[in-house]
Amino acid sequence: MNKLKLNYTSLSFLPILVCIPLGYQLINNIHFGGFKLFQDFLISAFNPKIDNEIIITVIKRLNETILIGFFSWLVSIIFGAIFGIISSNIFYKIFNIPNFFYLIIRFFLTIIRSIHEVVWGILLMQIYGINFSIGIIAICIPYIAVNSKVFAEQLETIDYKSFESINQINAPKFSSLLTLIWNPIINTFKNFGLYRLECSIRSTVILGLFGIGGIGTSIFLSFQTLNFRELWTYLWSLAILIILSGLIFKKIKFNTTNKILSIFFISVFFITILFSFSYFLYFIFNNNFENFNSVSSLFKSSSDLGLFDFLKLILETIILSLLSTGIAISLPPLVIGIFNKNTSKIFIKIFAFLLRLIPTPVILLTLLTFNNPSVSLAALTLGLHNAGITSKLLFTNLDSQDKRNYIAMKSLGISKKTSWLLGLFSQQAKSYLAYCAYRSDIIIRETAIVGVIGSVGLGWQLQESLSSFAWQEVTLVLIAYSSIAIVGELINGKIKNSLT
Amino acid sequence: MNNNTVLELENISYKYKNDLILNKVNLQINSGEKIALLGKSGSGKTTLISILNGTIKPTQGEVKLFNKSFEELDRKQKSKITTIWQDLRLIEDLSAEQNVNCGLLAENNFYFAFKNLLNISSFKKAHKYMKLCRLHTSIYDKKIRKLSGGQKQRVAIARSLIQESNILLADEPFNNLDPKLITTIKNLLLENVYKNNTKKSPKTALVALHRLDLLNDFDKVIGIRDGKIFFNIKRNNLKKIHLEEIF
Ligand SMILES: Nc1ncnc2c1ncn2[C@@H]1O[C@H](COP(=O)(O)OP(=O)(O)OP(=O)(O)O)[C@@H](O)[C@H]1O
Ligand SMILES: [Mg+2]
Repeated sequence: MNKLKLNYTSLSFLPILVCIPLGYQLINNIHFGGFKLFQDFLISAFNPKIDNEIIITVIKRLNETILIGFFSWLVSIIFGAIFGIISSNIFYKIFNIPNFFYLIIRFFLTIIRSIHEVVWGILLMQIYGINFSIGIIAICIPYIAVNSKVFAEQLETIDYKSFESINQINAPKFSSLLTLIWNPIINTFKNFGLYRLECSIRSTVILGLFGIGGIGTSIFLSFQTLNFRELWTYLWSLAILIILSGLIFKKIKFNTTNKILSIFFISVFFITILFSFSYFLYFIFNNNFENFNSVSSLFKSSSDLGLFDFLKLILETIILSLLSTGIAISLPPLVIGIFNKNTSKIFIKIFAFLLRLIPTPVILLTLLTFNNPSVSLAALTLGLHNAGITSKLLFTNLDSQDKRNYIAMKSLGISKKTSWLLGLFSQQAKSYLAYCAYRSDIIIRETAIVGVIGSVGLGWQLQESLSSFAWQEVTLVLIAYSSIAIVGELINGKIKNSLT
Repeated sequence: MNNNTVLELENISYKYKNDLILNKVNLQINSGEKIALLGKSGSGKTTLISILNGTIKPTQGEVKLFNKSFEELDRKQKSKITTIWQDLRLIEDLSAEQNVNCGLLAENNFYFAFKNLLNISSFKKAHKYMKLCRLHTSIYDKKIRKLSGGQKQRVAIARSLIQESNILLADEPFNNLDPKLITTIKNLLLENVYKNNTKKSPKTALVALHRLDLLNDFDKVIGIRDGKIFFNIKRNNLKKIHLEEIF
């Protein structure tokens, strides 16, 4: 008998075993009461509502979404760059600042990053009430920290020798700094800008589901009133927005040799900074903290949450992350490998696009029409959504790969599936797994979203504690969340290092 | 030590891990001297130059510029030294003229650095020195990564010349250059080309090189082997036996 060898290829498929406990719980929880609803939901995809009234609503809502998404993108990418600079090695070398501050600022950014924008959003809404700018702030807080990591990583690529030569010229320190970081910063804008814009539009939609406004709120309301045709109008218009913004962004060239354009970008840069600061001050001085009585309430013991319950919630959140990660890793290669025909590929691509497009809370709500809430259902939702994302990457890599091995194997009479596995996928497996490790960082954070809706884990507890103003519990939940995320990030970092 | 000394090394040793790369080096460089630094590959020439310009700190001993140790000097005083690196150390993603302008960063403010990156600063002075280095106008705005080896070499030289410093440290500056260019560049490096400049003091130069046929224009020759100075003599006194000792 052949032994199962543990290599990168088999490691990509093994996690599908999570489907066994997952499936067991799902089957136990099935109910047919809402099956008709589910059917309606699917059929409506091909029959969205289109009339004058809804088109006007769509335009209005999309406008809001674009505004929130765009401004949070702009602010978070600019401040991300600034924080990226002050959390990069080169900054500390040029200014001769002790390494201690470097560690402090990195730690601070890691903590902020570990909490999902939805959590920030729910938290801020509870304190300040629903407000247009709360959406921007909620997205900006974690995004600044995420972007700063991307920028800092790029800045680490600066050659130490060019630093030494600039240093030897003995220029003023800020001049040296600017000259050295200029190109890595511009390149990061070019390479990650579009992706981050897409991310902030998606986040805006998700925050919309929680009431911030924009198309997300409409999606949520139409779901609540079971208006599926309207729901699909919103979803498709969102699809068009995402595709269009991608096309437009590709057309924009960051040409740094064009003087007028450069001056334009620089002015946008400074205006954004000025505006953000003045808004920040306005925000601080003009809000009454109605619900947030005093900071001391954070530490007042008002909790009826036992230690045991708390540990159970943490465990639930970890299990939720593991199960979803398993699905996100193994489902795409499995499905692509089994249905390896050109026609079925198109269907898989469309399906994956839909999984990416439909916000996770909506996927979860649809699944809830025929299944009771459980960890498995939340994991399935999160896993499917993220499988949509990992499969996009896998498709892109497979399509651009050299196919000679695959063709040679097929011509030897080896079956199509086996040749795909050994000739094509096996060469991708390692980098695919490395990407999945990165993805699982995000999955851990996203457990908050499905937790709130699917009543599992810490996300649900957060919602509960917030609505009863139990600030001490909120603090506990947040600490637990960020600890899980930070530990997860450390483990994934180790895995990524061993894979690259 | 006399009044004329600009750079001085006192008992310098440099250790990297367990290797002693420079071993008790003593050296005085006087104003206006043109010194050739000879030594086979790996003998410590680049390390010596990095210590002279303050880029690496010696494990032992003291470096003095104008009779003061580096720690006592301010930025303006330190910028009196200019270096041409063996590995050039240009910024690959910037254009040739932007790289040359980097040499002017020390005497200008932050706004100049900013304008340089946006390509809206004046390149007049940069072009003057690039022209002196026989660089063709068509490469002025090309990125460094797109230039040939000899072109890069001359961009690095122009970046050093534009600093108009009177103390030049050059590490094999003639690499990648054809014989005609070598003559041109050698004159640029050793003579005072800053004619209409107020900095009247004579030019001091220490040049590491491998080509013995270029020694004629130097006053002194220093021979280094295994991190030790073997001889430090007037060029006229250089004998065959000296060279045999270090090569
Ligand atoms: N960064 C470094 N790390 C470790 N060892 C180094 C480093 N730089 C130089 N060395 C060692 O120091 C010694 C002297 O090197 P150096 O570069 O000064 O020689 P060089 O005379 O300039 O040689 P070449 O003519 O080849 O440029 C060599 O043995 C080299 O291996
Ligand atoms: Mg050398």
